[in-house]
Amino acid sequence: MTEASPTSAPVPSGDPIRVGVYVCHCGGNISDIIDTKAVAAELAAHPNVAVSNDYMFMCSDPGQALIIDDIKANHINRVVVAACSPTLHELTFRKALQRAGLNPYLFEHVNIREQASWVHKGDHEGATRKAVRLVAAGVEKVVRQDELFPIKVGVEPHVVVVGGGVAGMSAAAALAGRGLGVTLVEKASALGGRVADLDRVYPTEESGADLVQNLTRQVQCHPKVAVRLGSEVVGLDGHVGKFTVTVRATAAAAQDPDHVVRAGAVVIATGFDHYRPAQGEHGFGQSPAVVTLPDFQSALRQCPASQSGLAYQGKPVRSIAFIHCVGSRQIDGVHPPQPDGKVNDYCSRTCCAATLHTIRQVQARFPDVNVYDLHKDIRTYGRGHEAIYEEASRAGALFLRFPDEEPPTFAASKDAKCAGVVTTRDILTWGEELEIPVDLVVLATGMVPRDIASLIDLRKLPVGTDRFLQEVHPKLRPVEMGVAGILLAGACQGPMDINEACTAAQTAAVKAAILLANPTIELDPFVAVVDPQRCDGCEKCLAECEYKGALTMADAVEAGATVRRAVVNPAMCVGCGACAAVCPPRAINVAGWTLDQFDAMVDAIVAEDVGALAHTECRPSARHIEFAMAGGGN
Amino acid sequence: MSRKDDLKILIITTMISSYPGANTVGQARLQYSPGTFIVRVPDPVMFPEEFYLDSFAKGIDGIIIMSSGSDCPYEGAYPRLSKRVGRVYARMKELGIDTSRLKLTTICTVCKAAFLKEIRDMQQNILKAKAA
Repeated sequence: MTEASPTSAPVPSGDPIRVGVYVCHCGGNISDIIDTKAVAAELAAHPNVAVSNDYMFMCSDPGQALIIDDIKANHINRVVVAACSPTLHELTFRKALQRAGLNPYLFEHVNIREQASWVHKGDHEGATRKAVRLVAAGVEKVVRQDELFPIKVGVEPHVVVVGGGVAGMSAAAALAGRGLGVTLVEKASALGGRVADLDRVYPTEESGADLVQNLTRQVQCHPKVAVRLGSEVVGLDGHVGKFTVTVRATAAAAQDPDHVVRAGAVVIATGFDHYRPAQGEHGFGQSPAVVTLPDFQSALRQCPASQSGLAYQGKPVRSIAFIHCVGSRQIDGVHPPQPDGKVNDYCSRTCCAATLHTIRQVQARFPDVNVYDLHKDIRTYGRGHEAIYEEASRAGALFLRFPDEEPPTFAASKDAKCAGVVTTRDILTWGEELEIPVDLVVLATGMVPRDIASLIDLRKLPVGTDRFLQEVHPKLRPVEMGVAGILLAGACQGPMDINEACTAAQTAAVKAAILLANPTIELDPFVAVVDPQRCDGCEKCLAECEYKGALTMADAVEAGATVRRAVVNPAMCVGCGACAAVCPPRAINVAGWTLDQFDAMVDAIVAEDVGALAHTECRPSARHIEFAMAGGGN
Repeated sequence: MSRKDDLKILIITTMISSYPGANTVGQARLQYSPGTFIVRVPDPVMFPEEFYLDSFAKGIDGIIIMSSGSDCPYEGAYPRLSKRVGRVYARMKELGIDTSRLKLTTICTVCKAAFLKEIRDMQQNILKAKAA
């Protein structure tokens, strides 16, 4: 079910537009700079403004009561509050409108605190003049505002988690613990991902296998979790609340049917890949003595505890150079570009601590081995992680810092005394060039995004410039994607350690659980809407829409003739407005953010006299939102 | 002779990025000219070329589009916006409108210095163009 449901009585059709304007003092935060009485007085001259007042705290109960009383007693049917940022109190005032029986979207919040009084302290007159124009623009917007209704979408209380590493398993366990059904899809034949390969993890020193085993037990024993190993997602249709996910066994015979799962949300936890150095990068691929950190960790794990000296591939190792930032923090022009032409300019974050942890293991087991640590910087950012840096230093590791633009080089040695020589410039000794004979070079390779192009293509998932999956906002909405109902967990989003990946997974699980807590979800109504009277079926909007299924064309019968009209699926539209920009008759707009509204706002900003702005006649009582989905419509 | 405070600069901000960025500037009590009018939009990709040209015709002196850049959460929106602004520049040249009056930039939630610099630069550009 997808529908827009009225949440309040509609404004009677034909009623004149009567706007109430309320200018907040914010206890002096605004009124110390802006003459709030003058602003209210000027706005009273606007032909659509019926009430214009100023008040000490509009967000207070008495402040909200002013609005409610005016709606009831003075037949106010649009409201503008000029106050702090809408991020703080837009919802407060919408709810006040709702309590008064008015559609909560017939409201405009104008920011005259963070974006006026606080930033123009030295110019009271200028700030007041600006406030008048901003509030007038708000009035012009709200008089063109239609009633809007949240989009209600029925939900499947089930989540598909893609990826069975620690992040995916953590998310699955957390979701199941909240009573949701989970299908955990893993491409490999076993759960665990990259962590299963780790001997010990820092700082707890637990074994990676134990960590994985614990989580595996949790998900495999939970009655709400279905694990599908050796499988991948090949179809992802539908929308938040009602996704249809097609899962295919990777080794399936042609006749094996795909498994279809209906889910309210999808959590992507596909993890990362290790960076593979280019041929010749620090000697990699040219000498067997140059290896990656994961390869070395694997060799160390397999090295018997009874072994007296360190050896790699049968050759004794008496000195090792660890080189940081291989495949990370690359510089354009210094490092060779990746296949897409870009360099990996991001920091992989985990490799400094991982390298130092490995150095400590070498030092503990083979104290006679000389260890050289060649770095740009040491970024042991985790809580308590700096301790391992100090421990490695005290145990004799020699730290050398090379310039960003001059990475160390390796040359194989011709004599049998060592495998080769690492040459580096050391900033810590005033740029001295050093030649270090070594038996082994370990490259601290970073994280790169896993190749999940086929999954990305299924829903045009946003990808950042670093090629990792991109959240809506790193601070405000850190696990949500631009496509509603698709959430991120772990290193598919960017380099992170086990702790961070599991925290992100728990966050994604909570987010999904909130989404699916009720039988229906209410989505914001700020999606594209089509005015069928204006749509001429030119289809220009279709080419602009990146979201499959959000915008389609459908036949309609008008005056006995069949015509083509654009139709929006409100549950799949993200409300970006790309379609609106190319529609010559302005038949398609984002509800609540129409181009007519913005034009009128500009008119108000440039107007010298608020009273000279034109009177806007009454508007239809309700917007005709075209929903083509089964059971939809209002 | 115009003063910078007499100018009318329209600043188009995105709800997820530059609008909170403008709030951050306010929370830090950093000061700029009151001739600046911030409007928030889901994404500036929604504006057709005519919107910019009409705004100039109505009396807006300068427009700064503070986009979310490559961090834009809407797939394909930023490249589309960037191309559209390119087309607006071409039309501005045809119409004899100084192209420095329109700027597409990227501002994040904490880009305080960049936010102020864009306003300063726009004011200087407009005043220079008016003086010429």
